Amino acid sequence: MTCGQAKRLFADHWSQSLSADQEIALEAHLGGCDVCRPEADRLGALWSDLARLPAEEPGPGLRPRFYDLLRGARSQPASANKPQMSWRIAAGIALLAAGVPIGYALRPKDPELAQLREEVSSMRQLVALSLLQQQSASERLRGVSWAYRAEPSDSEVLRALLDRVNSDPNVNVRLAAVDALHAFGSSDAARKAVLGSLEKQDAPLVQVAIVDLLVDLHDRDAKPVLRRMARNVSTDAGVRQRVQWALEKLQ
Amino acid sequence: MPFSNPAGAHKLVVDAFYGNVTVKGYQGQDVVIEYTRGGSAGPNRGRRKPEEPPPPGMRRIGGNRDLEVTESANTVTVKNNILSAVSNVVIQTPADTSVTVKVISGRSIDIDNLSGEIEAHNMNGTVKITNASGAVVAHSMNGNVTASLNRVPADKMMSFSTFNGDIDVSLPADSKATFKMRADNGDIFSDFDVKLEGQSAPQIVEEKDNKGGIRRRVRRDGTQTGSINGGGPEMQFTTFDGRIVIHKKQAPAPTPAPAR
Repeated sequence: MTCGQAKRLFADHWSQSLSADQEIALEAHLGGCDVCRPEADRLGALWSDLARLPAEEPGPGLRPRFYDLLRGARSQPASANKPQMSWRIAAGIALLAAGVPIGYALRPKDPELAQLREEVSSMRQLVALSLLQQQSASERLRGVSWAYRAEPSDSEVLRALLDRVNSDPNVNVRLAAVDALHAFGSSDAARKAVLGSLEKQDAPLVQVAIVDLLVDLHDRDAKPVLRRMARNVSTDAGVRQRVQWALEKLQ
Repeated sequence: MPFSNPAGAHKLVVDAFYGNVTVKGYQGQDVVIEYTRGGSAGPNRGRRKPEEPPPPGMRRIGGNRDLEVTESANTVTVKNNILSAVSNVVIQTPADTSVTVKVISGRSIDIDNLSGEIEAHNMNGTVKITNASGAVVAHSMNGNVTASLNRVPADKMMSFSTFNGDIDVSLPADSKATFKMRADNGDIFSDFDVKLEGQSAPQIVEEKDNKGGIRRRVRRDGTQTGSINGGGPEMQFTTFDGRIVIHKKQAPAPTPAPAR
């Protein structure tokens, strides 16, 4: 098992959905690999910590300050308008004054937060990549839906999605993968790859989805390919109609 | 055909060039395959040798024009290739099998009473799924996709698509799900109380035109998202030329006691 393959199995390993053979192979690799084992330990600890993250607790000063405020409010008679108005203003300022130190005490320690964000995004990538490799079409669909949450700069997820568009045996998965590619439109490599994929597709639903994607990305480089498709009589008439529409839109 | 490990997860794959395929879940452990040979008209009729009567006085003792059935690693594969004489295949498999059926030129795929994952693909014909309790991923290029689900599993995604054909899906009235729907040239109907997301007014999109100015166009209705009963696992519905109908399944009426 290579490190890349092992990493893809991490997410399944923690959610206990690996087959017995895969478990054995993964344990064997981790036993011998000095790069993957600490990474697995670290990310594994993060996985379980994420589940146990407590809700944020306010600082110790909140409770006594709050009761002071309440006592102050109760001792004032709520009769005349004028004293009530000024009391409200005072209360507002007091709450603001109470809130500022609370917020300051609660601020996340910056470097830790950035690292946390990076690890969560790496986790999402792992889950998406792992699901996209599954045998079950329904699980690959879930992988595509996780891919929506990946960073637009994530080239591994992009490559996996393009792979699905080009060679997934299931039409619905290819279709979903095309839709997910809308988020990666800023990448030139992605646009070229999508265009290359169009002529290799045989399912008309997927062809239409790719044509729509090219229009959304304003990909004028697509025009020669689209013109070829429009003239090709073996392409379905409905698809050719959509291609004509796309050619107009890309003027 | 038995599975090598009946207790483990098992899969059935049917790969038919043509023929009508029916798959039914049942209580047994093995996969039981019945088929009929026939002269059903297919677009490839010219390529097949027509059924010749046996020479006089002879009866058929063998020869290989039927299905190819293999089992490996708990997956039973049933193949029916272009030169096969088989026209209708009826398969019974344990109800928790995961089933993948792919038919190129057959008229119909019928799948009933399965709790495993169902993947159905028919190029030129209908897909009809009934009494399903697992995830369903179904596609027909030229034909309707009809599905009646007994439940919507909370952790699985489903997808239904057709190019030329309607999608008609029934779900129990209390299902929780999130729908992602797109009907390029057709309407979407449902008797569920679907909470739709997104604007009701058509979106106007601004783009640069080729003279450097700004041009506006009304954005075509893209994919719509809606949820029922608070939302749940995602179910995708996509047609190019057809309608999408999502039914609320009524609880079955209690069957009357048989008269004696």
